[in-house]
Amino acid sequence: MSIKTNADKIVCVSVMGQIASPSFPGLPAQPYSLDSNGRPYLMPAYGGIVYNVSVGDSAYGWLADNVHPGVSISLKDDNGNRGLNILACVGNTAIVMSGDAKGTRGVVTGKSGRFSEHVIIHFDKASREKMAIGDKIVIRSQGVGMDLLDHSNIMLKSCSPELLEGLEVTTGSDGRLNVPVVATVPPHLLGAGAGLTSEGGSLHIQSADRDALKEAGLDNLRLGDVVALADYDSSWNHGYFRGAIGIGVVGQGDSQRSGYGPGVTLIMTSASGGINPVVSPGVNLSDVFTLNP
Amino acid sequence: MTLRTNEAQLVEMAVMGNISQPSLRYPGYTLDMNGVGRVLPGMSGIVYNARVGDPAFGWSGDHVEPGVSIANPDSGAEYALHYLTCIGNRAVVTSGLAKGAEGIVTGEHARLLIDFPSDANDLLCVGDAIQIFAYGRGLQLLDFPQIELKKCSPKLIHGIPMEVVDGKLRVPVTMVLPPRIMGSGAELNSEYVDQDIMSGDRALMAELGIDQMRLGDVVVIPDADHRWGRGYRKGAVTIALCIHGDSVMTGHGPGILTLMSTPDSCIEWVIDPSANIANYLNIREVL
Repeated sequence: MSIKTNADKIVCVSVMGQIASPSFPGLPAQPYSLDSNGRPYLMPAYGGIVYNVSVGDSAYGWLADNVHPGVSISLKDDNGNRGLNILACVGNTAIVMSGDAKGTRGVVTGKSGRFSEHVIIHFDKASREKMAIGDKIVIRSQGVGMDLLDHSNIMLKSCSPELLEGLEVTTGSDGRLNVPVVATVPPHLLGAGAGLTSEGGSLHIQSADRDALKEAGLDNLRLGDVVALADYDSSWNHGYFRGAIGIGVVGQGDSQRSGYGPGVTLIMTSASGGINPVVSPGVNLSDVFTLNP
Repeated sequence: MTLRTNEAQLVEMAVMGNISQPSLRYPGYTLDMNGVGRVLPGMSGIVYNARVGDPAFGWSGDHVEPGVSIANPDSGAEYALHYLTCIGNRAVVTSGLAKGAEGIVTGEHARLLIDFPSDANDLLCVGDAIQIFAYGRGLQLLDFPQIELKKCSPKLIHGIPMEVVDGKLRVPVTMVLPPRIMGSGAELNSEYVDQDIMSGDRALMAELGIDQMRLGDVVVIPDADHRWGRGYRKGAVTIALCIHGDSVMTGHGPGILTLMSTPDSCIEWVIDPSANIANYLNIREVL
């Protein structure tokens, strides 16, 4: 059964970004970050063209800090970048507009938050080889404004019509929206991103306590996995609220920093528990969109 | 009982800031948890009627910063103000009508928060310079090397009636905060400002008595490791201080500044309704 939406009325508009360079603070700052035990580390972080990590790969184990699979874009102008970060929706088509990969199409798979604010795009690995930092990429953004007509207690965020269709959600006999997810994140393991905007950016699963992570069944997450967020209301910012529930996709890899871990891009939220997460193994964007490796 | 510290080795040095002007981005709306736009005062400036020891909840304001908020316009000097100032440090007005008046540092938010007697507040002007005798960075408890102290002046450490019981440091606190309600600020390093309680679940705040919190309360967060960032770790203990008032924003609420953090269980706590820095720093008597 298809879920009724106002998708025929939502506007499709261009937002542009350029492939972002990785960046570090200038001298005399240390290049190191501190892990949750206070040990300094120096590893690749967000941004750039990541040649060997893709949606579908593990979210853990990479020697990187919140690695973005595929290609990250941003715009130097802050307001323009906000437009990009808010209007781009997971599942939107991205088209390379300059450089040797001109004309190549990709799919938006996530967003990053405070201190980076990138949009993360999947392109097949062969196309990534042809891309250059600074290449212009236009996203046909569509999704902001979309509502579920029979579920007024659910808000969609960063969710394209294609994603909603591909997730195979259904309405249960209790009126709630059944959403397949690989796992549910308990609120004590949600960290960085709380109190920040839910229209873009990321909310991070905390991974410093590996036993707690395992206990919650979150230690095998893959990039692109769809997860539920328990007792979190993301209607207006992300925050704790009993009975609320959110749905997100794992957009970024793990981090060694305290309060951080895999970054989640929120796609729907219900303050009054109108979402029923149904645990089903393997719900991942790589299958939802049949992403080319 | 006096705790052994390395305070004889600490360097005391001046940092300064100016009294800040409240600022709003036109049209100034903040969304509350129901998505309703609100315009509320609370941050920056001289707050005349909210002081350490007053309730953290109930103000028709947002992130109310008690007393006087100061900042330095130079970015490097501003970070020095943030990273060197400790709770309980002495502050002196160095310009304007209140020149010479003395206050006490009671918190660190996006600005440093200072309590002055109300007759001094009456003479203070936005922009007046305030110098802080920064003292406490580097402080350690010699018998508890695993405890990381943050922003604790020796005066605060000696003012809190702590005890060592069976090898553990016992700290009086007004209440226990569950780690699942710790929100905004998780993305920052834990040397900088605070982490908000997510107070949006009002029924839970009442159930746990958290809505009785006062500005200046010393509290405990079990299973929170704030040594290098602010995160969940089972068995860790963090002692913290309520520095600003409640908020209408989702994921926000009273601000909790880290004072001590340990990854093991060498800190224990005892509930004491008078555990407030207004008492410990002789600012005013509360309960």
